[in-house]
Amino acid sequence: MSAREQILASIRAARERRAQVDHPGRFGAWRPEPAPSPLHGFETMFTQAGGEVVHVSSSAQRDTWLREFLSGFDELSLGVGVPAEVAGLGPTPVPHGSEHTAPAGVAVARAAVAETGSLMMDARDGRRAQLLPPILVVLVDATTVHATLADALGAVRADLPAAIGLHSGPSKSADIGQVMVKGVHGPGRVIAVVAQAGLGAYRHASERPSERE
Amino acid sequence: MSGNSSTFRPASYREASARTLRDTPEVRDSVGSATRTFDALRTKAYAEVDSDRWRDWAQDVKAHALTHLDEYLEQAEQSLVANGAHVHWASSADDVHRLLEAIVVEHEVRTVVKAKSMLSEELEVNAHLDTLGVRSVETDLGEYIIQLLGEPPSHIVGPAIHRSLEDCRALFHEELGTPMDADPDELAAAARAALRGDFLAADLGISGGNFVAADTGTIALIENEGNIRLTTSVPRIHVALVGIEKIVPRFEDLAGFLQLTARAATGQPIGLFVSLIQGPRRADEVDGPEEVHVVFVDNGRTALYEDDTAWEALRCVRCGACLNICPVYRQTGGHAYGWTYSGPIGAIIAPGLLGLDRALPLPHASSLCGACVDVCPVRIPIPELLVHWRERTVEEGRNSVGERLAMRSYAELAERPSAFSTAGEALRWTPWRAVGKALPVLSGWMQEREAPTPSPKSFRDLWREGIE
Ligand code: SF4
Repeated sequence: MSAREQILASIRAARERRAQVDHPGRFGAWRPEPAPSPLHGFETMFTQAGGEVVHVSSSAQRDTWLREFLSGFDELSLGVGVPAEVAGLGPTPVPHGSEHTAPAGVAVARAAVAETGSLMMDARDGRRAQLLPPILVVLVDATTVHATLADALGAVRADLPAAIGLHSGPSKSADIGQVMVKGVHGPGRVIAVVAQAGLGAYRHASERPSERE
Repeated sequence: MSGNSSTFRPASYREASARTLRDTPEVRDSVGSATRTFDALRTKAYAEVDSDRWRDWAQDVKAHALTHLDEYLEQAEQSLVANGAHVHWASSADDVHRLLEAIVVEHEVRTVVKAKSMLSEELEVNAHLDTLGVRSVETDLGEYIIQLLGEPPSHIVGPAIHRSLEDCRALFHEELGTPMDADPDELAAAARAALRGDFLAADLGISGGNFVAADTGTIALIENEGNIRLTTSVPRIHVALVGIEKIVPRFEDLAGFLQLTARAATGQPIGLFVSLIQGPRRADEVDGPEEVHVVFVDNGRTALYEDDTAWEALRCVRCGACLNICPVYRQTGGHAYGWTYSGPIGAIIAPGLLGLDRALPLPHASSLCGACVDVCPVRIPIPELLVHWRERTVEEGRNSVGERLAMRSYAELAERPSAFSTAGEALRWTPWRAVGKALPVLSGWMQEREAPTPSPKSFRDLWREGIE
């Protein structure tokens, strides 16, 4: 018998003796505090975990902030979904595959989650660009902030890439003598640039006509 | 059968715990402080939500998944294959070793980066890769520390909690050349720099899996450092080793488990990085592994599943909350337990995964205080399962000769009223202070305690005279 058959056969034999339990249904938020607005909730949770949030309400404001912030770096890694007009605001982007040499990067979130303060990062935006730069700026469309994680997962399940990352703050570890340190492997500084509803600049790469290679 | 490995030694638990307490008393301080911190954070995190409701829900989803496990495993396999992943089934550690060997040979793998996985510790993957001439690098900071030290993990969530900052300074000074007074940030930066090269050079990344959603074929992984995301994103090949009990039915179920596990383990609302992996890189993606292999591992889990009491332990999400609160674990940390899973959860799954013979005396390494069941996110009745294994030990005649003799003599006495009364009389007139100090075991107990003075009359005499 193959390992597969062996495993399934022993489960089937023992299962006969187990009282079947029904699935209890969808996970609810179930917490005493009423949930704040998704945007407010996201900001609270994300900053509590050490992330930073910048709000922009126009594309001009967004561009001004990015131009100034990115002027401090000589190289940049870019997520595939970063709009062309934004890509031009910073220093020369490194080619895909060289993200590890960039001191900072810009990526785009597919969505965000208030309940957990998470940015939902889609593999189609480029996984290296989400992980290798020590400082990461993530563009978030305010209309994509879901109240709960269950909502967010439900919203993307019909169109899943090879991998989704939920990033809920900068990389941390307390493995060295139980002292908290930041930026161990993933980005040590993460800034979510939240574009107010209506700006609508950030659609997922696969939903946009190709703007850059 | 399961646990073919030779290095696991739960049988030496008594000597090993005595040795830890005697020779390395600082371990108790490090473990005590880390576990108390974890536990305080968990308490706070549970209080922020309706944790009773969360735990009921999680218990039910796991029980549902386990009572339909064959169906969900098959569904998960189909979904993963449809996503382009390779699915393998392994009965034992040997099966896993053979599979890894085939991948290593086919792809000429020289360096492997590893994301913390207790299953890979259980399967002794690193030692096997070593025999194949493959360099395997643990990338979780805690795992990296213990790999450099040549030690096994001492806690399922914080593998290096038995090591102090001073220990890490000395280690990193030797291995990475950092100054002896380096602060933790400098130490972490040195490790990051060293490991970055390994991530970029590795051909293969090996991870575990916290959960597998059957409907979408999603492997979910929880962490805080970002090393798991890198391990599963940068190398050409990714192998995920997952126990067959890790299945949850639906993708949306992950919402509950990711949050509850993080709250139970470290008191966080969610791990700072979560990976939800469906399969290999797709045509419209610029990076990610070209091959993803998912291995469903038994290695003794079906033996647990077949036990009508112990199967409940398969709900475990490996959060470590039961270790953090356990007064016995807190004394020694995990090394004394002699294998991958320590503390209360280790004691209840060892008899299934290693066989009862090899697991003894772990089910006895507990005072049955019940603190663990109060914190467990999936409500595993840990003390009941400990008692279950103790009963099985007796039923199968695996308890010690001394214990069996003592029980048999007591039974004989209890069946003969006159002998029972004579024995009681004799006990009441025994000079316990002197005798106790002369006997093994009791002498240790009596160092701190005084034996009570026996009543001049037996209970039976008092009963006969009439109790007022
Ligand atoms: S038995 Fe419960 S508390 Fe212990 S590690 Fe498993 S899930 Fe956590």
